[in-house]
Order: sequence, then structure tokens, then C-alpha cells
Amino acid sequence: MEKEQYQQLEQNVTPKPPYFKNVAKAFLVGGLICTIGQAVSLFYIIFFDFTEATAGNPTVSTIIFFAMILTGFGLYKKIGQFAGAGSAVPVSGFGNAVISAAIEHRSEGLVLGVGGNLFKLAGSVVLFGVVSAFFVALIKYILVTIGVVSW
Amino acid sequence: MKLLGMMLPLLVSLSLLSGCGEKEKFIVYGSPENEKEVEAILKEQKYVDKTTVIQYDNSMLVAVQIKPWDKWKKAKLEKKLQKKFDEKYPNKDVFVSADYKIFYEANKIKRDQVEDNKLKEKINKLKKLAKEET
Amino acid sequence: MVIVFQSKPSLLAAGVVAGPLEKRSIFSQHFDATYDDERWQMKTNEQGHRKMVEEACEFAMKKAGVKNTDIDYFMGGDLVNQMTPTNFAARDLDIPFIGLFSACATSISSVIVASLLTEIGAANFSLAGASSQHNAVERQFRYPINYGSQKPQTAQWTVTAAGYALIGKHHEEYPSIEAATVGKSVDYGMDDPFHMGAAMAPAAFQTIQSHLEQRNQKIYHYDLILTGDLGQLGLKLLKGMFVESGIKSEELKPLRDAGAEFYGQDETFQSGASGAGCSAAVFFSYVIQQMRAGTYKRVLLVATGALLSPLSFQQGETIPCTAHAIEITMK
Repeated sequence: MEKEQYQQLEQNVTPKPPYFKNVAKAFLVGGLICTIGQAVSLFYIIFFDFTEATAGNPTVSTIIFFAMILTGFGLYKKIGQFAGAGSAVPVSGFGNAVISAAIEHRSEGLVLGVGGNLFKLAGSVVLFGVVSAFFVALIKYILVTIGVVSW
Repeated sequence: MKLLGMMLPLLVSLSLLSGCGEKEKFIVYGSPENEKEVEAILKEQKYVDKTTVIQYDNSMLVAVQIKPWDKWKKAKLEKKLQKKFDEKYPNKDVFVSADYKIFYEANKIKRDQVEDNKLKEKINKLKKLAKEET
Repeated sequence: MVIVFQSKPSLLAAGVVAGPLEKRSIFSQHFDATYDDERWQMKTNEQGHRKMVEEACEFAMKKAGVKNTDIDYFMGGDLVNQMTPTNFAARDLDIPFIGLFSACATSISSVIVASLLTEIGAANFSLAGASSQHNAVERQFRYPINYGSQKPQTAQWTVTAAGYALIGKHHEEYPSIEAATVGKSVDYGMDDPFHMGAAMAPAAFQTIQSHLEQRNQKIYHYDLILTGDLGQLGLKLLKGMFVESGIKSEELKPLRDAGAEFYGQDETFQSGASGAGCSAAVFFSYVIQQMRAGTYKRVLLVATGALLSPLSFQQGETIPCTAHAIEITMK
């Protein structure tokens, strides 16, 4: 059998990913995580001296804490299998990437294992986040200087 | 699918909860002077959803909540409103905030009928809070 | 290409141990032991992996009533970098050892080498087999265990299991190895590490076809042709290739896949099981037991292996695969 012929056969046999179902599940779970995040945020605003602007930090740490508990009990990967991007895109997904790597590499010691591999998955998120933030700011700065938009 | 079935009633109840909050949209607490005028200014602004205004001595705290889609421009609208009030009442110390925390606390002040001597202290604290950076 | 063993070395005994999740396998009743702790009470996954290899070998030796000093050669391998679990197990077993790597096809390539050593009279007894440990393998080839990524339907689940067989001179009461085919490294341009069945199916097809051709056999000569870990989709593809080559689908009944059947119809495992431990566990427990019971008289075991590394697929290389086959008969 020729390669092209086989690739044809492979295309026919392999089921297409259920895109619509995946999107719907990601939307629901992602939305649920964000709703929980909003609730946590409101909790900090109402019961502590945080404003909408400053409540972000404690909210993010709380959600990451939840993600840590779920990851530690092996539940986050189950949510991830169900929700896909819905649980990967919110900050809890970032926490999961960091924490799962930390648990995984604990057996290689604290410095070379955990320390060296903590950002194995999340490292590129941090890097490209910072880089894209820099360029977005640069573009806006240029636009403001020219006078197209204002801050 | 099981999870979906569990989540659906939750989502429905959440959407119901947010649907029944049609209360007073414009609230003023403190001295009732130029109440009508302030209300008129705020009602003119299409992006303002709910407001609570607290007046005391020569100061005014204007806590507003901006309509969902306009929230993208929250900082800008806040500034615009501040400017408007500053122009209208050059002799008054007006503080405008669109932050939910300020709005929530302003409503609390009104509900608890905070007395004048404590009011000033509380408002100053709120002003400080609102200026806090992350 | 086909090797015919005149002396017909026999599979005298076998040991199979598996992890906690493998209790859900439809083959679990055939295993010698399943453990609740996937680390075997060890500190790391890799140490647990080593322990698992040792235990499988000990089961095989105990059943045959031999000691490690009676055994001439130890052939085996796993999927961890540099095969440390098997290498370290060899240290503790204290038997002359050659580590073999044919990815998941090691379960058969090791038996082929051991049979050759028996054939030339170099070995009275030798141990051959392979193993894989889910956590140790996944962390290396894919993501951390607890990372919440969504696996596609084509993905397969690496089995935690070790299977080792004791191979010795011909004995009528035991299944004997009549012939073997060493497979080529076949590459049909598949490059998805989450769709290994599709990459491996052509290798299995070529090996089976060339074995049948050179042995002058047809599929119906076999009671069972069992591939290692193609998974449900890989098996479908393999059958598809046979159909395209002009064989009727009714004739393909003996064709089965260990990986596709391993976890039954459980959707948690997507396309089925994979890993060197998958083929080794099924071949050296279920198949041997069925042969000794007389259910099967002639069986072709085809272990398939995807020869990729995390580095190679990140560098955009396609996945070459191999398949090795042994023909086992029972009087």
C-alpha cells in the first residue's frame, strides 16, 4: 500500500474531533470557573478592604489555591479531559500547569527537580505573556504619541 | 454529560437570581440640597446604571455603577463624570467613583444611617481605598 | 527475513504483574499479581517500575522452579530514558543481561533474541520480556500526570505492567516458538504522538504479510493473530489495509489487538491501551494460558512499537514504527 493511499484510509477511519461539543463543554466549564472567580472577587470586595481594582490579586491566588487542591487530588486532569480549553485557559489552568510539574518532579529533589521544572509547561505562557504585553504597550504608546488615540 | 446535567439547574438559578434586582436606581444620602440637580446630571449620562450619592458638609461622594457594555471604558467614564461635577460645583469637593467597593460601602452608609461625625472618617477611608493601586 | 527455529524453544513459564488501574483490564484474572500501589511502595515511579520487573521475573522463575543462578541470559527493556528500570532490575537479578529497545515491540524482540540463544545452544534458560509504568512513561513522552490536558479520542493509555517469559529448550507440554520475523522500521508519514495506532498499523501489516508469505501460510492457518498495542483505531486501520490488499474481511477473524481489548470498552482510555507492558502482559499471561489449555494451537504474536522520542516529534519528525512477530505452536 502506498503512503498516500494509507493516509487516505487513515483519514477515513479516524473520527473527527467533536468540535461543537468540545466548544460547548469548554464554554460551560470555563464560564463556571469564571463565575466562581467572580464570587471570590465579590467576597473580597464585600468582606475585606479591596476595591474592584485591587481584588484581582487575592482572587487569582485563591483560584490557584483551588487548582492546587484539585491537582493534588488528581481531579483537575479529569476536569481537563472533559472541558479542554475551558479549564486550561483560566488562571486555574496556569496553576495546574505549574503544580502538576512540581508534583511530578518532586522525586528529583527540591532544587533541580521542583525548582528546575516548575515552569516547564507554564514558562512559555509567562514568556509570551510578557513579550506580547510589551508589544501591545509599545503599539499603544506609538499611537498615542502620533495622536490617533488617547490613553 | 452527567456533569452537564448537574450544571444546568445551577446556571438557570444563577440567571434567575440576577434578574430580580430592580430596586431604586438613584439614592442620595445626607443633606438634600440640590438633590434634583444631581439626579438630573446623572440621569443624563446614558452609561450610568445605578448611583448612590452621599452629601456632607461641603463634600459629595458620587458612587456610580456603569452599564455592562460601557464597563470597558470605566476609567474614562469615571474621569468624564468627575470633570462634569467639578465644573458644576467648583466650590464643592466632589469625589466620583465607579468602583463596586465604593458603591457597596456607600449603600451601607445609607442603610446603617451613619452619623455625621463618623461619616467623614469613613468617606476619607473610602477615598484612600479607591486611590490604592494593585 | 523469517527465522525458522529448528529446535523450537519453549515458553516454559511466565510472570505478569500489573498496577492498580490494570485491575480493570479484561485480562486481569490472568495476571499473577496486581498491586494497589503503582510505585510498589518505592519512593519514585522509576523505582516502582524496577521492582515490577523484578517481581515479574521472580514469578516466572518460581513457576518453573529455577533460581536466578540457573538462568543464562536476561533480555528485556522498557520505555524510560536509557532503560534504567530494566538495567537496575538486571543489577539485582544478577543475570548476564542485554538491554533491548524496540519501544513497545521489545516484548517480542527480546523473545526472538532469547530463542536464538537457545537455538545455538548458548542458553538453557533465559528470561525475556518487557515492561512499562504509566507515570514514568507519560511524564517523559507527554505531560506531567496531573496536567489537565484534553486527550483526543485517538490517544492510548500506557499500561502499568511487566511481563517476562522463561524460555528454554523444547518441551512438548509447553508452547513452542517455531518461527519469527524481525520487522523493518516503517514510516508512513504519521506524526501525531496522540495517534500511535495509525503510525504502527503499517508496520504490523508489513511484518504479518511478510511472515505469512515466507512461511507459505494464510491467515486461516492461525487461531489467533494478536498485535500488541494498535488500539481500536489502529486495529481498524490494520484490517483496512488487509482488505485493500485483497483479503475478505470475514477471513480477518483471527486478527485481534491486545491494546484494543485491554481495558474493555471503557471510554476513559480512549482508543485503548499501549506500552511495552500491554503486549507483554497479554502475550505472557492470557495467550500462553490459553495455549496450554488447548484453545489455540497456532498463534502469531506481533508486538508493535513506535520509535519516537519527545525530542524527535518536537523537531517535526514523523514516527517510524516497527513490529516483530513470533509464531508459537502447541501440540
